[in-house]
Amino acid sequence: MEYVSPEGLRLDGRRPMEMRQIRAEIGAVSKADGSAIFEMGNTKVIAAVYGPREVQNRSQQISSHALVRCEYSMANFSAGDRMRKPKGDRRSTEISLVIRQTMEACILTHLLPRSQIDIYVQVLQADGGTRSACINAATLALADAGIPMRDLVTSCSAGYLNSTPLLDLNYGEDSAGGPDVTLGILPKLDKVTLLQMDSKLPIDLLENVMQLAIEGCKAIANYIREILLENTNQLEYRRGV
Amino acid sequence: MEEEKEAVMVTPGEVLGRTSDVKAGRGAYAALHNDTVYASLTGFRRTLPPAPDSSDQYIICNLQRPTIEVTGHKAHGPVPQPGSVVIARVTKVMARTASADIMCVGSKSVREKFSGIISIYDSYFDDRQQDVRATEIDKVEMHLCFHPGDIVRAHVLSLGDARAYFLSTAKNELGVVSAESIAVCASMLYILCLGATMVPVSWTEMQCPLTGQIEQRKVAKAAS
Repeated sequence: MEYVSPEGLRLDGRRPMEMRQIRAEIGAVSKADGSAIFEMGNTKVIAAVYGPREVQNRSQQISSHALVRCEYSMANFSAGDRMRKPKGDRRSTEISLVIRQTMEACILTHLLPRSQIDIYVQVLQADGGTRSACINAATLALADAGIPMRDLVTSCSAGYLNSTPLLDLNYGEDSAGGPDVTLGILPKLDKVTLLQMDSKLPIDLLENVMQLAIEGCKAIANYIREILLENTNQLEYRRGV
Repeated sequence: MEEEKEAVMVTPGEVLGRTSDVKAGRGAYAALHNDTVYASLTGFRRTLPPAPDSSDQYIICNLQRPTIEVTGHKAHGPVPQPGSVVIARVTKVMARTASADIMCVGSKSVREKFSGIISIYDSYFDDRQQDVRATEIDKVEMHLCFHPGDIVRAHVLSLGDARAYFLSTAKNELGVVSAESIAVCASMLYILCLGATMVPVSWTEMQCPLTGQIEQRKVAKAAS
């Protein structure tokens, strides 16, 4: 199938190195300590962070640093009739683990000993790149909750179809079966915290595709930073300072 | 470096300075591998002048480094720390210990539940008195110090075990600050503790204003 037309346009009309429209909003769940909605095109996820709070299950308490928990779920209505056959809970467990590990790498857990941080992410609408969107939403929610972090983690995916590196795959491109690299980075520190790939990709091309994903992550980081500053400005304004 | 007039907003990961120039305060951290201070919270950057008596180990040319901190907009609830004075409600009184729920740390109320344990030795004697009255320790009983429902002012000894903070009331100004009497409504079929707020009469006794009955408590000396 042709994923990049001869004119150089993708199925949804984007250029190969173009990202989908991103939109973020802070404070979607008022009961949570921090929350955010993150949209990448038609993918829409909501994240809520509770904590740092006392560890609920005493046996899980860690005396030197904080316990980070993550729960990923997909709303039943998120994928519509395109929902792939139910695969049990394997996929959700894996993504929960991935998000947890990514966020744990950036939270300064040693500052919060004997406490627990819960991150809940739910996919409201799935159109490829849910993993990335969830990580971006979780970062925003953590920053909103005022949890100390090394840096903002941001994530973006990139693929390689029709011998063209493509940024930010949507569902159609994702299910093409081609290589799909999901990357999570700490943009200011220039560190990689997550790197996953489906399918195979020649080693010399990986560099290109990864570079593309890094650019995507940095663009998202700039946007997230803008949103955070705007939110802080708003709060200050409301406070009348 | 002078206090900035215009507040600069930062997000996590933003570079605040070099470790040779500034110290990382709250909401900031120093990365040792590249000697850079980064922000760890979203909020306003503030530069605090160095404390005059600080013993800075990186003093270069007698220049003390200012502390840089980031103040976020989210206020976290207070957490009891060793040394802080807390207000707690007694929930359970046993032979040698009493359990209490911490309600306030200093003057701030806590957001979530913290439980504390007051042991008999920590409740009654401070170190000096314990020595003096060592032979009479067995005469003291926990139920003559506290009752469930009493509000006590206590001092946090340590973070305690996995379950509870260790609290102490072994000081004159620590102990029961408010207690209700066990005045009984006799007309009811069941014994019902109506409870009137009692008045302290000595450092071990409180009196019910309704019945005049005296009850034993480890009373806190009122702050004058």
